[in-house]
Amino acid sequence: MATQPAFLTRTETPARIAVPAVRLDSARAERDPFQLRALPHEDVFFYCKKIDNSRLVREADPRAGSACWKVIGAAGLVLALFTGVLAPRVANTVAGYKLEALRVEAQTLADERRTLELEEAQRLSPERLDKLAQGQNLVTPTASQVVHLENKGEGKVAMVKK
Amino acid sequence: MVERRLVWLAGIVLIWGGAIFGKLVALQVVHHQEYVTKARARQEEVVELRAQRGAILDRTGHPLAMSVPTESVFVDPLKVPSLELDSDLLAHELHLDPAELYRRIRTAHDNHRGFLWVKRGITPQEAEDVRSLKLEWIHVDTGSERHYPNATLAAHVLGGVDFAEKGNGGIEKALDTQLHGAPGEARILTDVRRRGIDELVSTEAHAGASITLTIDERLQFVAEREIAAAVKLHEATSGSVVVMKPYDGQILAMASYPPYDPNQPPESESDVAARSNHAMGVPFEPGSCFKVITLSAALETTKLRPDTPINCHGGVLVLPGRIIHDSHAGFGFLPMDMVLAHSSNIGAIEIGRTVGRAAMYDYVRRFGFGQKTGVPLPGESKGRLRAIPQWGTTSLESISMGQEVSVTTLQLARAVSVVANGGLLVKPRLVLKQGDQTLPIEPPVRAIKPETAITMRQMMEGVVLVGTGKEARLEGYTSGGKTGSAQIFDFATRHYTHTYNGSFMGFAPVTNPAVVVVVTLNGTRGNGGFGGVVAAPVFKVVATEALRILDVPKDLPDDPPSKTLLAASQVLDDVSIADLGSGQPNILEDRDDEEPVAPQADGFVGPVAPAAPVAQGPAAGTVPNFKGMTLRAVLMEAAAKGIPVQPDGSGVARVQNPPPGSVWHQGERIRVQFAR
Repeated sequence: MATQPAFLTRTETPARIAVPAVRLDSARAERDPFQLRALPHEDVFFYCKKIDNSRLVREADPRAGSACWKVIGAAGLVLALFTGVLAPRVANTVAGYKLEALRVEAQTLADERRTLELEEAQRLSPERLDKLAQGQNLVTPTASQVVHLENKGEGKVAMVKK
Repeated sequence: MVERRLVWLAGIVLIWGGAIFGKLVALQVVHHQEYVTKARARQEEVVELRAQRGAILDRTGHPLAMSVPTESVFVDPLKVPSLELDSDLLAHELHLDPAELYRRIRTAHDNHRGFLWVKRGITPQEAEDVRSLKLEWIHVDTGSERHYPNATLAAHVLGGVDFAEKGNGGIEKALDTQLHGAPGEARILTDVRRRGIDELVSTEAHAGASITLTIDERLQFVAEREIAAAVKLHEATSGSVVVMKPYDGQILAMASYPPYDPNQPPESESDVAARSNHAMGVPFEPGSCFKVITLSAALETTKLRPDTPINCHGGVLVLPGRIIHDSHAGFGFLPMDMVLAHSSNIGAIEIGRTVGRAAMYDYVRRFGFGQKTGVPLPGESKGRLRAIPQWGTTSLESISMGQEVSVTTLQLARAVSVVANGGLLVKPRLVLKQGDQTLPIEPPVRAIKPETAITMRQMMEGVVLVGTGKEARLEGYTSGGKTGSAQIFDFATRHYTHTYNGSFMGFAPVTNPAVVVVVTLNGTRGNGGFGGVVAAPVFKVVATEALRILDVPKDLPDDPPSKTLLAASQVLDDVSIADLGSGQPNILEDRDDEEPVAPQADGFVGPVAPAAPVAQGPAAGTVPNFKGMTLRAVLMEAAAKGIPVQPDGSGVARVQNPPPGSVWHQGERIRVQFAR
C-alpha cells in the first residue's frame, strides 16, 4: 500500500525556497517586496516512478486461507441447516400432492366398484336369469325330479333344516 | 466528519431496520389471526364427505337396493356469457339437443334464475370433458343415486326414495335413519391451482348401515310371477302372496300385484295406486279361511272334537234378517273335521254358537287379528274387528264364517303359523340383520295348546286331501290349508256382489311345517273365482319352490298312491269324498248369500231340500288333446266342454292323464302336466 503523500498532510505553504544559508555578517537581508509568494504545492513535482515488481512474490497469508475455509464451512453449514429445515416441508408438500391424488384415485375406484356391483346385480336378477333359462330350454324341476342327497330312511318324519 | 457520516448511516439503518421489525410484529403478532383466517380462506377448501346410503340385501346377500355415486351438471344461467354459443358448446359435451338446452337456459335466464340442472347422472367421460372446459358458470356436482337392480322385485317391501335419497315408502322409509348415515367434513389444503396438498378430517363420515332382509330373492320372484299370472288368468284386480317361516316369523316373500318399478317415479294415478302393498295394507273379509280360528276356539273351549257330528241343517240356516246357504250339496250331519274340509258355513256357525261370543272374540284376538303385526313397514293395516258391545245380532255367526271381520294377508299368514308351529303367535320379521348385527327374535306368545295345533293340522290336511283345497296338494310333501271365497261387499248398493276374494292359506309339510304360504286374489268372478280354484294352484307352485329352496326333505313318495289304496283307507261318511286322481270336480266353494228374508204369510221360511250328491257318471266322450297348449287355453277349452282339469306346473302342456283320445267319464278329472 502506498504511503500517504506527504503533501496531503502538509497544511502550510512551503517556506520560501531557502538558499544555502550563508551567514552574513550583515544584517538580515531584507525581503524583496516584489517577489511573489510561492503557490501551494509549487515545489511538488509528480512523476511516474517505475517500480519493477516482477520479482516481487506475494507471500501467502496463512490466516487468510483458514479464514476462507471457515467462511465456506459456515456457509455450507448454514445451507445444510436451511435445507434440513426446508427439505422435509418440501417433501411433505410433494407427498401431500401424491397422497391427495391417491385419495382421489381410491375414491374413484370405490365409485367404479359400486357401479360394477350394480351392474353385476342387474345381470344376476332372477327375472333376467329366468329369461336366459327359457332361452336355453331349461325348466324348473318338478318335485319328483328333486332328489335330496341326505339319506333319509323310509317312514321317517320330514325334518326341517335351518 | 467521517464519524458523523457513519453515525448518520447507522441511524438510518437502525430506523429502517426498526420499521421492518415493527411491520413484522404487526403482521405476525398483532394481525396474526386475521391473516391466518384469510390464508385459510384462500388455501383451504371445506368439502363434505359423502355418507353412502346403506344397501338393502336379501337373506343370501344379493343387493335389492343400492346407491351409486353419480355426477350431475348444473349452470348459473345469469353468468353465461353467450347463451346460444355456450349452450351449443355444453350440449356438444353432454350429448344433448342444443336447441332444447338453449331454450331451457334462456327461459331460466329470463326468469332470473341462478340455478339450472342441465343433466343428471353423466358419465365419467362427460364429467371429465366438462371439467376441462374450466368455465366458472358450469358446475359438476357429485351426488348419489339409488338403484334397484331387480326392477319390480320386492318393490312393495323396499319402497323408494325421493330426489334427496330420503326414504318415502317401505323399508327405505321405515329404516331411513339407519340407512341414511351421517356425512362428514374435511378441510383440504390446496395450492394455487386448487390441487389438494393435505387433508384434515374434522368430522368422520359414517356410511349408512346395510340392511339384510329375510326375503329370499328367488322365492320372491316365484311368488310375484305366480300371483301376476293368476291375477291375469282369472281377471282379478289385485293379489298378494306371503311366504313365512312359522317358527320364527321370517318373511321369505311378500308379493303384491300390481307391481311397480321403484326406479321410475310415478307418472299417473294408477302408478300411485300400484304402490299400495296389498299384502299388509289392504284388509279384506277372509271368508272361510276364518273357520280355522272358529274350530281352534271350539277345540279349546268346548267339548267338540274332530269327530263330533255337527248339524248342518241340510244346507240352509235361517237367522234373524238373513238366510245362510251352503252352496254345496246340502249336508245333514258332518263330523267337525269335514265341516272344515267341505267348508260348511252352517257347520261353522253351529260351532261358533257353541264357542260363544266372549271366547270367539278372545281367540280371534289371540290369533293376532284386529292388531298390527309390527312388521317394519309403513301403512300397515290392523284390519277390523269390532268389540263385542258393537256386535250385532248375527255377528257371532258372521265372524264364525269369516265375515264382519277384515284381515290382511300377512295377518292370515301369522294366524296359520300358530297352527303350523304348535300354537305360538310369532311376530313376523322382515329384517334379518342390521349391518353385521343379527336382530334378536322377539319371544312368541302362546295362543293355543300344542295338541290343539296338531289336531288343527290334521284337519287342515283333510281340506287338501278330500276337501276344497285339492288343487293345493303337493308332490312329495304333505300339506294342509284352508280355502276362502269371501264375497265382496258393494258399499254403494249395500249388497254382496258376485266378485270374491279368493284365498288359500296353508303350510307344508304337515308333520313339521317348514313354510306357511297365504295367497289372496281380489276381485275374482263367478264359479271360477273361488279360493280353491284361483289361489290353491298358486300355493302349490310357491310352496313347492319354497320347500326346494329350503331343502326340506320329502315326506311322501313322489308317485301318488293308487286309487284303490286311498279308497280303502278313507272313512266313508254321508258325503261324497273325492280321492286322488279322479275326484269330484270342485264346483262350489264356501259361499254365503246375504239375501234379505222374503216375508211370508206366517213369517216362516223353511229349509230347502238338500241336493243329491254328485257321483262319477257314465262315459261322456273322449279326452281332448291339450298337448302344446298354454294353461289359459287348456282351462278355457276344458271349461267350454265341462271337463274338470287339474293343472300342474306352468308353461305349455306336455303330458296329460288320461291320454288324448281315451274315454272320459262324467266327473273324471284330467291331470295335465305343464312345463316351459
